[in-house]
Amino acid sequence: MNGLTSLLGVFDISLDKLSNGELWLAQFFRGLSDGATYASVALALVMIYKSTGFINFAQGSLALLGVYLAYIFSVEQGLPVAVAVVCAMVASSAVAMFVERVFIRPFPPDHVLPLVIVTLGLLLIIDSAVGIVWGFRTRSLPSMFPSGAPIEWGIAQLTWRTIGNLGTVFAVVGLLYLLLSRTKVGLAFRAVSSNLESARLVGIRVGPTLGFGWALAAAIGTLGGALVVPDLLLEPSIMLRVLIFSLAAAALGGLDSLVGAVIGGLVVGLARNLLVTFLDLSELALATAVAVILVVLLVRPTGLFGSTTVERV
Amino acid sequence: MKAAVAAGSRQHRQRQIIGWVLFALVVALIPFLIADTYSPTIFGNRYTFGLGNLSQAIGMMVAILGLNIATGYSGQLSLGHSFFVGSGAYLTAVLVNEFHWSYLSTLGVVVPGLFVFGVLFGIPALRIQGLYLGLLTFAVAAVFPSIIRLDEVKDRTGGSNGLLIDSDLEAPTWAPLGTVTEWLHAIPGVGARVPDGLTGRQEEAVYKYFLLVIVALVCFWLVRNILVGRVGRALVAIRDNPLGAAANGVNLAAYKTLSFGISAAVGGVAGTMLAMHSGFVGPDEFGFSMAILLIVGLIVGGAGTLHGAVVGGLAIQFVPVWSSQTQTLPGTDVALEGPYGTAILGGLLIAIIFALPGGAAHGFRRIKARLMPVAPQPPGG
Repeated sequence: MNGLTSLLGVFDISLDKLSNGELWLAQFFRGLSDGATYASVALALVMIYKSTGFINFAQGSLALLGVYLAYIFSVEQGLPVAVAVVCAMVASSAVAMFVERVFIRPFPPDHVLPLVIVTLGLLLIIDSAVGIVWGFRTRSLPSMFPSGAPIEWGIAQLTWRTIGNLGTVFAVVGLLYLLLSRTKVGLAFRAVSSNLESARLVGIRVGPTLGFGWALAAAIGTLGGALVVPDLLLEPSIMLRVLIFSLAAAALGGLDSLVGAVIGGLVVGLARNLLVTFLDLSELALATAVAVILVVLLVRPTGLFGSTTVERV
Repeated sequence: MKAAVAAGSRQHRQRQIIGWVLFALVVALIPFLIADTYSPTIFGNRYTFGLGNLSQAIGMMVAILGLNIATGYSGQLSLGHSFFVGSGAYLTAVLVNEFHWSYLSTLGVVVPGLFVFGVLFGIPALRIQGLYLGLLTFAVAAVFPSIIRLDEVKDRTGGSNGLLIDSDLEAPTWAPLGTVTEWLHAIPGVGARVPDGLTGRQEEAVYKYFLLVIVALVCFWLVRNILVGRVGRALVAIRDNPLGAAANGVNLAAYKTLSFGISAAVGGVAGTMLAMHSGFVGPDEFGFSMAILLIVGLIVGGAGTLHGAVVGGLAIQFVPVWSSQTQTLPGTDVALEGPYGTAILGGLLIAIIFALPGGAAHGFRRIKARLMPVAPQPPGG
């Protein structure tokens, strides 16, 4: 027992904390809530990766833009938050389609490096444009869900917001699944992501299909941002941290798996909250995300649910 | 169109020497011209450029040079080079503050230390390729500031407040900087731009500038020597066709790790230079935004070229400075406020990828080939 206590002391862990069931539950719920938001941005990353085979580093920025639009629609124009978020999703989809058409489509899709650089450029442009237009003052965006908690157990609260975030993410995955497997657009999308050349040969219009993928991803990202922001404050650098956690989530789940993104998001959210609380690692929250990415890429590069690609030599 | 000059001929040699002499003159004279800050007024906007901006740009050039080895030459997408630069800067700061070393002698620890660190980083990177490596390094870059702020190292690194470095780089008495300034001032015409003698602060700035130039020249010279030989050819082969390189007997694992090691060591030197320049290190300076800036500099200057690092360093230093000082839209009264510099850099990045994928260095080379053609030497001749 003595040995265990001194071992725990190295990590600054107190047994009081560890045996506190309420704290565990509270952090579990917070982890679920954070995880849902990471999952939603990870879903957007996965959508782009599935269709084009590269990671859109500007995904967080498109979501940022969407969230600011939602702020304008709801707080300044007085629309109900849910309606404002839907309007912002539509608007950011339009922006994403424009971006895809103008900046992405001119490049051959099999050359990944220039495309990644272009998305980095877009990240710089969109982030600073948001800073120029709306400034660096922090704002707050109301949540789409009612406040309060239906289930309480001491300090552990399962809030409506957590339930709403989780429900939204599961609904998004369900809808995406239906869209991809049951509709003609979804079929075209899957064909393009599986083999671009053959898809073109059978008469699928590849460009608009990819544009559709971008629009969808931006809409999902905006929704994800709208879930994140009520917990934090709205300011131009907010999506960057979320982007890192979401990248970790997407890498963990497998970059081309929608279900993987959700599970990855939840695991990263839980891991983050539990580690930070019980190991006292508040400064290392980001580092845990990086560690997740590193371990996954080393041990299982395709993630938990990703599909393996075989390269022909 | 002028007649082509044969490569290696006497005329070509002469032309090269003239070019280098002009370059050396510009490098040597600039500090005296802008020791007293240079403040032009363009389209109603007043700008102030100091020698400090240029010194910082020189540090950035070396940082881009380091990134260039891993990304530009051997083709491993590293979005986290700021991590190495930051490590070098903090290592220097701690050694100078706590052990009272001189700045330059810290290089003796920074270079081997960062080389080993880069190799250790390069080993896991072997299994992670292309985009995934970009993803990982991107995340690593974002973590650096929080590592500096950790409670365990806060006493050493100063945490969020950063670290002021004690030692001042004073010009030694044997350096005739003041005398040179007076001579230059005496030259009729041009001399009017040069101040009549230097104040203590100006002398220190000019001295620092020359120190940084020398360190940078040594770095560029060493890296060039590494890259023109066997190692450089192996790295380029790995970038262009890894399978082909392996088939020709290039040890992929060894060379990739080596490139990360050299790249990190050069990045560390850049960190030392930036610490020398500002006498201060702060955690957020070396975060994610610097990582992206270095990539911008690399691409805008030209990946896989040495000249590109110079152009890129100037671009990422002066575009933000210039745009932050532009108060109104040139020629009008429209006020500009906010991070325009970053937006312009982002636009520049995309424009370069579209119009000039080889970067500015490639553009210069094309113009030069048009104006002063050089015929390659015939084989066997």
